[in-house]
Amino acid sequence: MGVCILIPVLLPVIAGALLLLPLQRDKIGEEADQRQSGLSLLHRIVGSVMAVSAAVSLIVAWTGADSFTWFELMEGLPVYFHIDDVGRLFITVISIVWVLVCFYSFTYMEHEGKERRFFAFYLIVYGILAALCFSGNLVTLYLFYELMTLASMPMVLHSGTHEAVMAALKYLFYSLCGAYMGLFGIFFLYKYCDSLTFTAGGTLNLALADGHTGILLAAVFLMIIGFGAKAGMFPLHAWLPAAHPVAPSPASAVLSGIIAKVGVLAVIRVVYYIVGSEFIRGTWVQTAWMVLALLTVFMGSMLAVREPVFKKRLAYSTVSQVSYILFGLAVLSQTAMEGALLHVVSHAFAKCTLFLTAGIFLYRAGFARVEQLDGIGKKMPKTLWCYTLAALTLVGIPPTSGFISKWYLAQGSLEAELGGFSWVGPAILLLSALLTAAYLLTIMTNGFFPKKKEPVAVSARESGKENADCAGAAGKQAAELTEAPVGMLVPLAILAAIAVLLGVFPNPLIRFVSEIAASVL
Amino acid sequence: MSVIILAVVVLLPIVGGALIPVLPFRKRTQMMVYTEGIVLLNSVLALSVLLTRPEDAFVLFRFTSNLTLSFKLDGLGTVFVGLISILWPLATLYAFEYMKHEEHEKFFFMFYTMTFGITMGIALAEDIVTMYCFYEMLTLVTVPLVLHTLTREAVLAGRNYLYYSLGGAAFAFIGVIFILIYGTSPDFTAGGVLDLDKIGSRTNLLLLIYVFCFFGFSVKAAMFPFSGWLPQAGVAPTPVTALLHAVAVVKAGAFATMRITYYSFGTEFLRGTWAQTVVLIPVIFTIVYGCSRALKETHLKRRLAWSTVSNLSYILFGVALMTPLGLTGALTHMVCHAVIKICSFFCAGAIICQSGREYIFQLDGLGRKMPKVFAVFTVSGLALMGVPGLPGFISKWNLVKAALDSAHPLAIVGVAALMISALLTAIYMLTISVRAFVPSNADRYAVTQTAEKGVKRSKKKAERKIVPYDEVRDPGWMMILPLCIFVIAMVCLGLHPQPLLAFFGSIAAEIH
Repeated sequence: MGVCILIPVLLPVIAGALLLLPLQRDKIGEEADQRQSGLSLLHRIVGSVMAVSAAVSLIVAWTGADSFTWFELMEGLPVYFHIDDVGRLFITVISIVWVLVCFYSFTYMEHEGKERRFFAFYLIVYGILAALCFSGNLVTLYLFYELMTLASMPMVLHSGTHEAVMAALKYLFYSLCGAYMGLFGIFFLYKYCDSLTFTAGGTLNLALADGHTGILLAAVFLMIIGFGAKAGMFPLHAWLPAAHPVAPSPASAVLSGIIAKVGVLAVIRVVYYIVGSEFIRGTWVQTAWMVLALLTVFMGSMLAVREPVFKKRLAYSTVSQVSYILFGLAVLSQTAMEGALLHVVSHAFAKCTLFLTAGIFLYRAGFARVEQLDGIGKKMPKTLWCYTLAALTLVGIPPTSGFISKWYLAQGSLEAELGGFSWVGPAILLLSALLTAAYLLTIMTNGFFPKKKEPVAVSARESGKENADCAGAAGKQAAELTEAPVGMLVPLAILAAIAVLLGVFPNPLIRFVSEIAASVL
Repeated sequence: MSVIILAVVVLLPIVGGALIPVLPFRKRTQMMVYTEGIVLLNSVLALSVLLTRPEDAFVLFRFTSNLTLSFKLDGLGTVFVGLISILWPLATLYAFEYMKHEEHEKFFFMFYTMTFGITMGIALAEDIVTMYCFYEMLTLVTVPLVLHTLTREAVLAGRNYLYYSLGGAAFAFIGVIFILIYGTSPDFTAGGVLDLDKIGSRTNLLLLIYVFCFFGFSVKAAMFPFSGWLPQAGVAPTPVTALLHAVAVVKAGAFATMRITYYSFGTEFLRGTWAQTVVLIPVIFTIVYGCSRALKETHLKRRLAWSTVSNLSYILFGVALMTPLGLTGALTHMVCHAVIKICSFFCAGAIICQSGREYIFQLDGLGRKMPKVFAVFTVSGLALMGVPGLPGFISKWNLVKAALDSAHPLAIVGVAALMISALLTAIYMLTISVRAFVPSNADRYAVTQTAEKGVKRSKKKAERKIVPYDEVRDPGWMMILPLCIFVIAMVCLGLHPQPLLAFFGSIAAEIH
């Protein structure tokens, strides 16, 4: 039964690869779309492949099959899949988001063009992400981590403008830099660990490592920084505000909501499943990690507050919010880890919603800048309501899921014996939450209660310089603005609803993450 | 019987190649068939020798009682023989298509084929004298290939190549002499031949000689500070740069350092001494230096040449670790890099041949016109930077494993250098692919114009005309076929390297 694990990995990858080849161009893809209205063949293919793979991966994750060795990369380096609770949590979040964003993109990508290429890579990345969640050892994780970087890069450079290409290259090189730092660490762990198979509590052989603690700690630190690059942690965060805004909105949504989390997944695997939390507790690595995470939390929020481009503001917000998670992991206590995992879920849904809203504004009106959104609530109330719910989640106002996760993060930090960090941490989290409210909720208030009577119709040409995304939906007059199409609104509403409802009915999820946290600490 | 074949595979291409300008070919096709026939026959013979594995040595010629020109097949030789006899016929096929528009074809193919035999001689040499003889011949026979176009640049490059190589060989010769005096025999023996009684208190002298010898041979492997000739020699036609300057000649240098380190001086004598430190430092430096220069370079072939400089030092790094694992890593990278780099050079050749563009900034958007070539180029780039599943990762993993296993303090610095180099490799290879597929300058005409302007700036003679963007096409099957084979080879090597690694392991196991 273990072979089933390969289905959700290979099915989308093969389907995506076939779409990349120049087959049946006149039936599937751009040329065909111009003639056809409604759901085109491309959309039907992508939608069904997506739905089937998501369904299969969920079934595989939550039922029987648990481990499978595919082949050996080298002697002693098997490509090995094993499904555990962390993998289940991530694959569930990823699948839900991926399917919903996929349906959203059917409408959205009309105005971007080159749909076929976009969906090809979209599918491939899903397959690779499934493999990442199911990875059973560090080398498999690294393999798919690197493949994911390569496969997601074309989504960033989609529009093909100079800005987009440069941002994509920046994304690529920051990620690879991080990946190689990770690989550097893997070499050392390979030498000093009993095995690279993920085991709750770690596999580090302390007898073997004795006397090499210094170099091992340095290696682990490099790995945290390296894999943290994907999660936008300082000092390798600079790619994120460059890459997320230029990508098409659905791509930025999954980049921020999901792919940044893969960095978190890798860090969890390294710290809790290979090295073991005991090894770094109380060392300089833990301190440095916490400092970097808190610095990133604060810096991201500050930068977001003064950022006028909407998607860029959201990107900075991601920088800040994902580091909440990393801080929770760095505390190395059970409660804090629960908080971190809860925040993974909550941030994934909330941030996706926010980016999809940004996409709707671009699609409908070509609005890329924050000040253009004055009074938008009058024209597109449903969209802005979804935005509001997601924003409240991200700020952490009860009863949303963001409140629960931040509560656990703060509590975990206060409980842990970390000296000054015990209270500095929560203080910075609180400060950042205030800043989050400042940069997200002002948009909402200005949207519903404009300062001027009529929404300002700034022509999109002006904002086009700021953001490549709006080229398609050039300046529509404010008067013509209408609510977003149903195809976009429904996924948006579902995502926003999940983000909130997880806060209202949090118990099953909390039980689940506390089991994970209890098993590794 | 099979022992004679050892000499045949060396002599057949030399004689057969020398006959090319003499034979009265009426058509180009006849010469092509003849050349490919010789090369293919020789490869088949060589591979059959690898299968029969004769134990004895074949003595071709005796200078004195113990100075002979003799051939013998051992594990290390097997790797090199196998490598070149698989690559040579493919490269020759490619050369036919590439050289269509060049002059002096006959002389080109004469030297090209002769080089095959001489490289074979280096691989099969039984003792250090034989290897040295063929090593010198290799320099002489490849200089005309660099000179081929006879432009001022080519002549300069040829002269530099000659000076560097002969200078290096002179230093290496000192080592050869000392081995003859202080060794028990001139033959290559796993573990070394030095006679410790004879050396007595002259250990430091011998170590100094080893350093001379290592540096001398590593000139051909383009180690810093002797790397200048390799990028310059990029003016040669692409089949030469691809096969000789990425595989045969430069790998002969690396191969020679393996021979002297593991089979003449012996690692037991060298490991942990100051000599090891002295050779490790420039090797590690070159790993990063080559990559940085590649990053700076805007000429496509020269960028690949700098990348070769860096990657050859990966091999030398494995050699200089002086452990069996190090040798395994070095051999793995020798094979992996050969396949990868010849593939990317062939892509570069195809690009130059089809579009006339040699600078990277001229390649914007060409990926849409030559999708096959650029797809292969991207795969080779990914392999070179070490994406798991492709061969670059395998060799890197083995090298690092060896480095961490050896107790030498510089080894960790080496690992860091490998990682930095991997990142730089990603940057200089993938920017080309990305720009080719997604031109950052959306206006195609603007792209063409900058391309044309660029050429005027580069003062290139009007031999190759820039082909207008719209007329650029993928090349014919003779170029595409080798590319496809290399891609398949890379994937197979990357996904299923165990048999090869096991074989390398068995070679290295002979050394203590």
